[in-house]
Amino acid sequence: MSDQHILRAFDRDLETCQALVMRMGGMVETAILEAAQALETRDEDLAEKVRKGDEAIDALEEKINEEAARLITLRAPTASDLRTVLTVMKISASLERVGDYAKNMAKRAHVLGQMSAITGAAGSLRRMAKTVVAMLSDALDAYNTRDVALAEDVRNRDRDVDQMYNALFREFLTHMMEDPRNITACMHLHFIAKNIERMGDHATTISEQVIYLVTGSQPEEGRPKAESVTTIGVGED
Amino acid sequence: MDDIRLVEKTVNAAGVKIAARGVQVYYGETHAIKDVDVDIADRTVTAFIGPSGCGKSTFLRCLNRMNDTIPICRVEGKITIDGEDIYDKRVDPVQLRAKVGMVFQKPNPFPKSIYDNVAYGPKIHGLNRNKAELDEIVETSLRKAALWNEAKDRLSEPGTGLSGGQQQRLCIARAIATSPEVLLMDEPCSALDPIATAQVEELIDELRSQFSVVIVTHSMQQAARVSQRTAFFHLGNLVEYGETSQIFTNPSDPRTESYITGRIG
Repeated sequence: MSDQHILRAFDRDLETCQALVMRMGGMVETAILEAAQALETRDEDLAEKVRKGDEAIDALEEKINEEAARLITLRAPTASDLRTVLTVMKISASLERVGDYAKNMAKRAHVLGQMSAITGAAGSLRRMAKTVVAMLSDALDAYNTRDVALAEDVRNRDRDVDQMYNALFREFLTHMMEDPRNITACMHLHFIAKNIERMGDHATTISEQVIYLVTGSQPEEGRPKAESVTTIGVGED
Repeated sequence: MDDIRLVEKTVNAAGVKIAARGVQVYYGETHAIKDVDVDIADRTVTAFIGPSGCGKSTFLRCLNRMNDTIPICRVEGKITIDGEDIYDKRVDPVQLRAKVGMVFQKPNPFPKSIYDNVAYGPKIHGLNRNKAELDEIVETSLRKAALWNEAKDRLSEPGTGLSGGQQQRLCIARAIATSPEVLLMDEPCSALDPIATAQVEELIDELRSQFSVVIVTHSMQQAARVSQRTAFFHLGNLVEYGETSQIFTNPSDPRTESYITGRIG
């Protein structure tokens, strides 16, 4: 099958949508890395930059939705073209959520800046954030190159993030039980860890969109999952 | 999701109306249809799509033996309607065409009154016993074709005096007046404006409760709007045949994908 439409404006419209998604992806990746860095180095200026930057990400999502609506109306896309538009919309929605989580992380940097550090937690969070950024980056690369194998790989890597989150969950629980003065900091740190874990879920969603885009069907359930924290602490003591 | 599509599924369960096996059509030396197998479901709208010259109209015309009228045209293979071979020597093509009605691209009413246009078929097939019955057939057919309200006060006026969209609906009324079981439509809306097109499409959707409708169209959007099943023809081959929603969202053949997405293929 040829890649080009007979009507070249159709190609330009599709490329515009996808270019906007890639740009949004780049902004979100930067936001996560900077939020994690602000957290570790207690850099409030950097945190402020991330908080402010979320507006631009939200605006981009709106623009992508407009472009997608325009494309549906004017071009009546079918088959892979339709899937491109549908995935553009879902991926931008996921990226917007990830942007919100990064913003939330940055907000907490301010609170944590005034608290005594929980040893090693910021470093662990930063490692976790880096893992998620790598997943996100690969998911977007897979989207750009229509690489199903890479998308599957990203999907499988979400387990690592879940395991990191579980480990942090246990660590924070221990700190809180040891000394109630740690509770405030640990609650914030826990939300940050949870947010990063959710980012990983969105990276997974994006890679699933890549699989849908290329194959036309949603991937089967049954990707590897880590144990859930929902039972940790239940029935212990 | 399942609930919404339940209607279509029950409809498809109505069974096979037309079955074609190994159909070949030649125009002299030209091999126009190459070994087509297809099962067309009863009470379903089936759309034939494909580029010009792909054989979709030729295949449609096999279904009521319209190709018999072309001397150099040769049809091989087997086509059955309700299990009966329509190319059997004992089948009278005129009777067959009463059972398999056809509507063409351009509205082509007879140069007669609106009434006579619709009454013509029932009269020559002797479907009515008296004038009252004929009146009833005319009214019912015009009602089914959604033309009654516009035409009831001018039944004696010439059919050619109607607007294009009305003329096409008159042709549909004429086609359904003989109580056919199958309705073939060869680009029925290509000469109509969007409003008349919408009216004819609404009509097609209503007709599906009584007939098996087969429509040839160049408008992919029309095929998507009106049909439950779609067949894609290319260079005389039936490339892909399946649920319309599947063909338009996730076709399995790259040639279908190229065609419906408007790519150079």
